[in-house]
Amino acid sequence: MKTGKKLGVGLIAAALAMSAIGCANNGGNTASPASNATNKPADSKTEKVKILYSMWGSAAEGSTTQAVADKFNASQDRIEVEVQAIPWENYMTKLNTLATAGQLPDTGMLQEGGVIQWSSEGMLNDVSAMYEGSDSKPLDSLAYKHQGNTVAYAAANEILLLYYNKDMFDKANVPYPPAALDQAWTWDEFVETAKKLTIDKNGKHSGEEGFDSQSIVQYGTSVENLSWQLETWALSNGGGFYSEDGTEVRIGEDASIEAIQKVADLYLKDHVAPLSVGQTDDGIQRTIIAGTVAMATNGQWNIGTSLNTAKEEGLKYGVAVLPYLKDKVTLNTGGANVVFSQTKHPEEAMEWLKWYNSEENNWALISSGIWMPTLDKWYKDETFTRKWVENPNFPPYEEYKSAVVDYAQSDAARPAAWFYTNYTTDFNTLLGSVLGDVWTGKATAKEAITKNLDALKAAHAGSK
Amino acid sequence: METVNKLPKRRSRFYSSEARVAYICLIPAFVGLIFLTYLPLLGVLGISLTNWTGLKAPEFIGFDNYVKLFTTDPYIKDSIITTIYFAVLSVIGSMIYSLFIAMMLNRKIPARSFFRAVFYIPYVLPAVAIYVGWSWLYEGNFGFFNYLLSEVGLNKIHFIADSSYVVPSLSLISVWLAGNLIVIFLAGLQNVPNVYHEAAEMDGANGWQRFRHITLPCMTPIIFYNLLMSLIANLQVVTPALALTNGGPGNSTRFLTYLMYDQAFVNYKIGYACATTLIIFAILAAFTVVLFKTSNRWIYNEGGDDK
Repeated sequence: MKTGKKLGVGLIAAALAMSAIGCANNGGNTASPASNATNKPADSKTEKVKILYSMWGSAAEGSTTQAVADKFNASQDRIEVEVQAIPWENYMTKLNTLATAGQLPDTGMLQEGGVIQWSSEGMLNDVSAMYEGSDSKPLDSLAYKHQGNTVAYAAANEILLLYYNKDMFDKANVPYPPAALDQAWTWDEFVETAKKLTIDKNGKHSGEEGFDSQSIVQYGTSVENLSWQLETWALSNGGGFYSEDGTEVRIGEDASIEAIQKVADLYLKDHVAPLSVGQTDDGIQRTIIAGTVAMATNGQWNIGTSLNTAKEEGLKYGVAVLPYLKDKVTLNTGGANVVFSQTKHPEEAMEWLKWYNSEENNWALISSGIWMPTLDKWYKDETFTRKWVENPNFPPYEEYKSAVVDYAQSDAARPAAWFYTNYTTDFNTLLGSVLGDVWTGKATAKEAITKNLDALKAAHAGSK
Repeated sequence: METVNKLPKRRSRFYSSEARVAYICLIPAFVGLIFLTYLPLLGVLGISLTNWTGLKAPEFIGFDNYVKLFTTDPYIKDSIITTIYFAVLSVIGSMIYSLFIAMMLNRKIPARSFFRAVFYIPYVLPAVAIYVGWSWLYEGNFGFFNYLLSEVGLNKIHFIADSSYVVPSLSLISVWLAGNLIVIFLAGLQNVPNVYHEAAEMDGANGWQRFRHITLPCMTPIIFYNLLMSLIANLQVVTPALALTNGGPGNSTRFLTYLMYDQAFVNYKIGYACATTLIIFAILAAFTVVLFKTSNRWIYNEGGDDK
């Protein structure tokens, strides 16, 4: 026993000593970027400037992007871009580690929720000058702004839409939802239509005499209730999650709460929607593709990521603009391409990004319907629009042009909160947890939000 | 006299060389333990006293993280309660279930080894596939269980979408997964001396009496082992939250390990997550100590009390 104890003491002592050394090593690491810095300029005098670009994706996706970068490398003789692909699951963790070590790439992709946080910690370069003197700029709603400066542009555009199953509408002899913004449905029209499309096993519709909400076989609609998408309805009702500059929390206002309750009531009161408690991010698969729901809201990317395959298997779907409460609103979003502040070559990094962000270089993602272009010429110039949309991967041209292309450049399109607000990940996680019992009707939106308003404000302030 | 003297000497030489070999053989294990377990553990303690986010150099902030956790954190209280609730349900459920199945499988039934495999299979299936499969059974609108319920005219139950049902529903999966406990129980049951049963039978003891007074006492060391392992595993639950519920609805499945994962790898509050880790550690340690302290009272030791 005695030797055991001594051994134990020895181990702890050794462990303490090692951890002290570990700390010293950490201290040493911070010095390494400086030594890198002294090496780099020396290289660039004789050779091309080397730019390291990081992206999320598999090794195969990395080599596809490298092939694109090689075209860029061959097109001029000053900049050499190397692509580093990091798996999506580890992407932000890996970048965090590299940031700590002072070894970030020069430029790279960044998840939506991280941009303003990284900028507020001084990790990003201002990219306002990137499109100076260009004939086509990204849509205004696609710039990430922190304290008035543009710190990133979205790599792609996405907006929220209303998808619908054409066969279900035809069968019920109900007109399709409108693709044109000026004909957008009010919320009440939307709910009325959803009732006509909700059928129980005896063929009764929601609201009819004898309708049994426990044996519904087809639901009229499903409004996605992931936290960030819910902001659409709060904004549409004249409220919002945050003030326009992102500094104040507005979710406690009646207009915001009422909008969230309306979404919950689709299941609870109107009996036109299946229960969804925001646990998984597969709304379109669960609804339109599963063939159980006639209309569902979600992002444009679903056309490329899942609806195309379903279409080949016989699904007839259409796209429409979202219904509205008071104002017509859709959110747009897109992961960012940033220039890290640790780079010694911001100009060259921006030049590469600008070249790479031109749609021709992301054509596979755009033509398959996963990404929408960011530059405004694709929305404003019909020849470009036709080049983009007249493609069997998309719904009919007129329908998509109206419900997506025109919608995306209209006043209704507003940037998602992470374009201008910090700590949206914290806030959205907490909001999702706060609303858990609202979807099942155990609490009202008013009770849940009022009770947790201080915590929501603290999450928004980053002081959780 | 000589032989008496020689013997201990030879013995000690023998032991010391054996000890030397033992220490040499243990070195790799010690190195592994020190560098992969104890140093990181100390590291976690150190980081938990900082505000490290992974981006900037960490600043020492004393016990601020702990103060925040216990005063303003919106999740930790629900998280501790729900973790313990889940662990208690799962441990009790899986102990009863696996002991029962093991006793069934210990009988001379036809195709016994086939059934042994059947009950062990869930344990070796890939976790995510299991949870996705169960999610189809549990789905609130069109899931299989709800289909059955509506066929017999009952109201639907939102197994994993309702905060009152979600923890019992997930515990049920965890019970169903307890194939490893069954195997250990089976091994234990085969060690219960048959002579006791024969003697008791002769004295006219019925099945329940034999179970209560022979099987159960003989099995207490195995029960203790399974209880401990199952408790530790279930207090560290995270997979169902990651695969099925994302911690919801509400906080009803925001288990401690999931909370820590979320803090560290979604929100990058690494210092804060380390503080949470140590709270998980303290809870695990507390449960383990209580279990050990009370074990002497109910564990039957065949060789008598050798401590």
